[in-house]
Amino acid sequence: MSSYAAPVQDLIDELGRMPGVGPKSAQRIAFHLLKIPTEDALRLATAITEARQRVAFCTRCFNVTEGELCGVCRDERRDTTVLCVVEEARDIVAVEKTGQFRGRYHVLQGAISPIEGIGPEQLRVAELLTRLEPEAVTEVILCTNPNIEGEATAMYLGRLLQPLGIRVTRIASGLPVGGDLEYADELTLGRALQGRRDLETG
Amino acid sequence: MHLQHIWLQDFRCYQEAELTLADDLTAIVGDNGQGKSSLLEAVSYLATLRSFRGVPTEALVRQGATASIVRAEGERDHRTLLIEAEISSNGRNRVQVNRQRLQRTRDLLGFLRVSVFAPDDLELVKAGPGIRRTYLDDTLVALNPSMHQSLSDLERVLRQRNTLLRQARGRLTTEIETTLDVWDTQLAQLGDTIATERVGLVDQLAPLLNSAYASVAGKPVQIGVIYEPTWLVEGLAEALARVRVEDLRRQVTTMGPHRDDVWFTVAGLPARTHASQGEQRSLALALRLAAHDLVSTVTGSSPVLLLDDVFSELDPQRSDALVASLPPGQTLLTTAGALPSGVTPDQTLRVVNGELFAV
Ligand SMILES: [Zn+2]
Repeated sequence: MSSYAAPVQDLIDELGRMPGVGPKSAQRIAFHLLKIPTEDALRLATAITEARQRVAFCTRCFNVTEGELCGVCRDERRDTTVLCVVEEARDIVAVEKTGQFRGRYHVLQGAISPIEGIGPEQLRVAELLTRLEPEAVTEVILCTNPNIEGEATAMYLGRLLQPLGIRVTRIASGLPVGGDLEYADELTLGRALQGRRDLETG
Repeated sequence: MHLQHIWLQDFRCYQEAELTLADDLTAIVGDNGQGKSSLLEAVSYLATLRSFRGVPTEALVRQGATASIVRAEGERDHRTLLIEAEISSNGRNRVQVNRQRLQRTRDLLGFLRVSVFAPDDLELVKAGPGIRRTYLDDTLVALNPSMHQSLSDLERVLRQRNTLLRQARGRLTTEIETTLDVWDTQLAQLGDTIATERVGLVDQLAPLLNSAYASVAGKPVQIGVIYEPTWLVEGLAEALARVRVEDLRRQVTTMGPHRDDVWFTVAGLPARTHASQGEQRSLALALRLAAHDLVSTVTGSSPVLLLDDVFSELDPQRSDALVASLPPGQTLLTTAGALPSGVTPDQTLRVVNGELFAV
């Protein structure tokens, strides 16, 4: 039923692939992009190109970075013995804002969710395990989202890590249940970090 | 919450509608298919965030519109309260209380409570266990809105677990096993919580159900409520471990609160198979009345009664008995025919093709 010129339809299709963008929104954004001044649209295109060409994932923790290693991993003052495990790189920003954490991070790039075809193999779990010895990690804080998938991921990692003699903690409840980490305010998230408890894997 | 005004926009067949409710009884009359039930559906959406007619919320949006808006103004604890919901055709709904947007839609639960009586309530007695679980779970949420979270988590965990079981294709690799363990732990926690709540609810409902039945049927008869999940004694974790092989083979979760039944007896015999049609009707009404009674007592305020064309299904005797048994309080009822004697609306509105007229 495509009734638009091919380039317009291509644009709509591409936008429709973005997370949280339905077909109607894709259409609205596409026509917005066609209406605004050319230089504004090109600025967006350049920003995407630049970001994709210059930003990559940190080879150690999978945070976004412009170089080989991200800012946190390059910072020598950070405590290497404590690792904070998060689902997405954007969660690092949320934890950093609390000012309550001085260790390093590990980004899983998702959470266990069979519905979305994501099992432990699709996550950066193997990479997490290889970091433990060289960085002399003694505690892993599981900072996955306080929803079903985040809990499942935390529990899975707990069962993997605890037998290795590593202290495994989970951020305290008190975060809005079912929500995403990124929506929690700094104060709440800071308290949740301070109040972290040893994970019970049941 | 006591309702005063209701506004609808692009809801079902209503393009725009506004009505002022009587303190007591408002009757909505009109032929079938004009939008009487939709009006009750809109009010109940604000209370439960779903349709009591069992359709997805997207189906509530008027054909051709992208979103509907339902707004109700009323009073709670001597304060004016304005609650609003935007139901979107893409499923992303939003809610507001006193013009403040709430972070999650479920935060709206607890502001308005309703008790819905629908024409197909007889299914509570006659149909499969699904509708009876819904009856218990809806009552739990009305009593304690935080149960909504546990119930939707349960649904989510089951979807994840069943997907994993399908992906396993009957084989139990170490990877599948560890991941399955994780879902089982969550399912067991949720299952134990929900079943325990249901057991407590059934205990509370039983005496109220007996007196409601006596009132509707005109004579006291022993009514029993039985909710005894086989797995509850050992706990769901144990039970899931026991049926794991079976679950893997059938690629579905065969044990848990989503498979439970709650059933009723009339004078010691199972109501579904042994009660007469008349007894079954009385029992269905009694179930609605008992839940209404319990929620009123526990929360300290009566839910708004929504009676959707209930009299058309009842014989005159049972209609009169229902009218006599209805507790006082704000009521909205719809009817396509005449009202039973003894029902005197404080206000009557006629619906014609999505438009309201004063009678
Ligand atoms: Zn890094």
